[in-house]
Amino acid sequence: MLSRLNPLTTLAASGAAIALTMAASNWPVSVAVAAAVLAAGTGAGVMRRVLAASAVILLPLWFSLLVLHGLFFPEGRIVLAGWGPARITVEGLAFALEMGTRTTACVLVLLLFSFVVNVADLVAMMTTRRIPPQFGYVLASTLTLAPAITDQLSRIRQAQEARGLVLGGSLLQRVAAARLQMVPLVLALIQEAAERAHALDARGFSSPGPRSTYREVADSRGQRTFRRAVLGLAAAAVILRLCASWFGVPVLPSLSAGNA
Amino acid sequence: MTTPVLDAYIESFSFHGETAPAVHGVGLAVQPGTLACVLGGAGSGKSTLGRLLAGWLRSADGQLRGRLSLSGDGVPNGAQRLDFAGTEDDPRISPAAWSRHVGYVSQDAAAMLSGIRSTVAEELAFGLENRGMNRDSMHRRVADVASKTGLSPLLDRDPGSLSGGELRRLAIACCVVTDPAVLILDDPLSSLDGEGAELIRDLIAGLVARGAAVVHLGQVAGLLFSQATHCMVLDGGTVTAQGTPADVLLSRGLAESGVVVPSEAVRHGRYRPEATAPEPVSGSAAASNKVSSGAGTGESSLSFRNVTYSLPAGQGAQRAVLTEVDLEVEPGQTVAITGPNGAGKSTLLRHVNGLLRPEHGEVLVAGLPIRGKSTGAIAADVGLLFQHPRDQLFERTLVREVGFGLDRLFGAEAEAHAVQALEDVGLAHVASAHPHDLPASGQRLLALATVLARQPAVIALDEPTVGLDRHGLARLQTALDTVTLRGAAVLIVTHDLAYARTVGHRVLRLQGGRLQDT
Repeated sequence: MLSRLNPLTTLAASGAAIALTMAASNWPVSVAVAAAVLAAGTGAGVMRRVLAASAVILLPLWFSLLVLHGLFFPEGRIVLAGWGPARITVEGLAFALEMGTRTTACVLVLLLFSFVVNVADLVAMMTTRRIPPQFGYVLASTLTLAPAITDQLSRIRQAQEARGLVLGGSLLQRVAAARLQMVPLVLALIQEAAERAHALDARGFSSPGPRSTYREVADSRGQRTFRRAVLGLAAAAVILRLCASWFGVPVLPSLSAGNA
Repeated sequence: MTTPVLDAYIESFSFHGETAPAVHGVGLAVQPGTLACVLGGAGSGKSTLGRLLAGWLRSADGQLRGRLSLSGDGVPNGAQRLDFAGTEDDPRISPAAWSRHVGYVSQDAAAMLSGIRSTVAEELAFGLENRGMNRDSMHRRVADVASKTGLSPLLDRDPGSLSGGELRRLAIACCVVTDPAVLILDDPLSSLDGEGAELIRDLIAGLVARGAAVVHLGQVAGLLFSQATHCMVLDGGTVTAQGTPADVLLSRGLAESGVVVPSEAVRHGRYRPEATAPEPVSGSAAASNKVSSGAGTGESSLSFRNVTYSLPAGQGAQRAVLTEVDLEVEPGQTVAITGPNGAGKSTLLRHVNGLLRPEHGEVLVAGLPIRGKSTGAIAADVGLLFQHPRDQLFERTLVREVGFGLDRLFGAEAEAHAVQALEDVGLAHVASAHPHDLPASGQRLLALATVLARQPAVIALDEPTVGLDRHGLARLQTALDTVTLRGAAVLIVTHDLAYARTVGHRVLRLQGGRLQDT
């Protein structure tokens, strides 16, 4: 369902969700956005991929937040436990929770977008809107970078296995095997990028002048209305947030005294 | 005589860091509606010449002295001449503007693709989109070129899922679709099956008939060569023979080059075999080269038992690639498998060392099932030459490349084995070079060396002849003779039926997922 939407609709919804999360700066809102992403991801059948990718980013982040702010939060007043300079405070935990949930929501939104968006449709829509093709190419390359690296790594691994590299075993053996693949991976990606640049030039990619698109991307009045609505909502949330900051009025109640 | 659309004289071109020029003293003027053929063996300079003509080599790559001239419709003022003196003041070619007149397809078909298009149709349309063609015209043009290159059934496929032959047809189609006045095609028939090669020959004939100038760069004096208006042989970066195909066939320049001359030319007396260095390998002349130590001993080194394998075909469907395949290869025996592009030949070969695992059935090496063994463990007995050398090569020097993993087999003697394998394929003199700096022929021989160095009991070769010149084919043949004499079982997949018949004790055809005797 999500992948069949016009990519600008998915992009607008993702951008609005992030703007709303940042503007609210409130953990229940962040949790609600994250829950909505999980529900949408389950519906789109990409939940496992989203969770796996987000775990790589979020687990170290949560760990560092809890260590830094949970144990060392100078503004903390209500001490739950203490070991010399390290003190667990309510304020520190609350700040870590605010930061963690907000970042989690944003990461989940971006990952869901990257997994459901049809890159070809997105590039086609950008061309239609006269956005420079180089920008579209960079965006498409970024969104397809992870699969491209995975493919290249898989090719190198297969070549090495075919010459006797046995994968698996202890963690040390796995790290040693990964080390053997990293230098060839980087060199291969650089080589491929250089060759690709020649091919793109030769196929007129750097030509000035108007472009067209082979691909016709479906859109609808309903989707256009939805895009306007969510972008308006996001803009309103940001304006409200700015006004509240200027006049010193909290938009939503916050757990943390240190959370501006 | 009409004005040439492309007129070039390369006084010299040297890559930075190289003392000897890669190309020197080469002049080429191509007329509209003609086919020119530039032949040469590995490292002869023909691909460098092609890249120079196509505007792909710039001052950052090397130093050019000479001139390039374009004329015809769409060229500013009707004609444009660029003179190069090898200085910083030399004109700079705009690749995008140049490509409107001169299209180029390199030896490496995969490198021609945009990398961001999700279907073959969109990849074909990429060049047209960049020129702002309207959508309806684009759809018509894509459909037309796809039908002429046999890509119509593949238009919705992901370009990354195409076989080697299909990928080459796509690269050629991507160039043809923008209708340039000059097309430079580097080895356009390599890795194509008979039907695919015929399609491309017909396409070229049609383009020439419509007034395009086509420059064919190759290392086989085959049918395209015989249809050329003008031919040229390059060796050591310069012209050693030129004229009509008949003139060139009788020339010493051709005889001394690495160009493969199909046996038909020898049989019809149009070629002087006494002038050749090593005996040509392909064709019937090499049919007696089937050396074997123990073909037919009855004990299989490699067995496929009822192997079935399928690939996803989109929307949850599966496409059967191998269906209940049975195969036996005995020690000292060479079995060759042919079949059309995309039939699943490479898929079959990847089952030999466990890179792919059958859905049903079993693969046995030396009588033991490989099920449950890792590819790395199977590699002690099986060597696999990949279809594309760039998928097999990953190291920084040739000697490191061949030496990878040999220490586990040979301990302190690993480096000696690596050097010996490089000598066997004629690359020991460039052991410290980077694999990517080798020509296509050299890269394939290097990949072969990585297989030979391990001295496996089973050797599986995927399209081993593609990109090889006459000297490379002779090296390959010698290597095959040596390994079969020591009792290794050899399984070769190739699109080239003539080559399969030349080297195979048994020739099978893979079609519709099943193996049949030819």
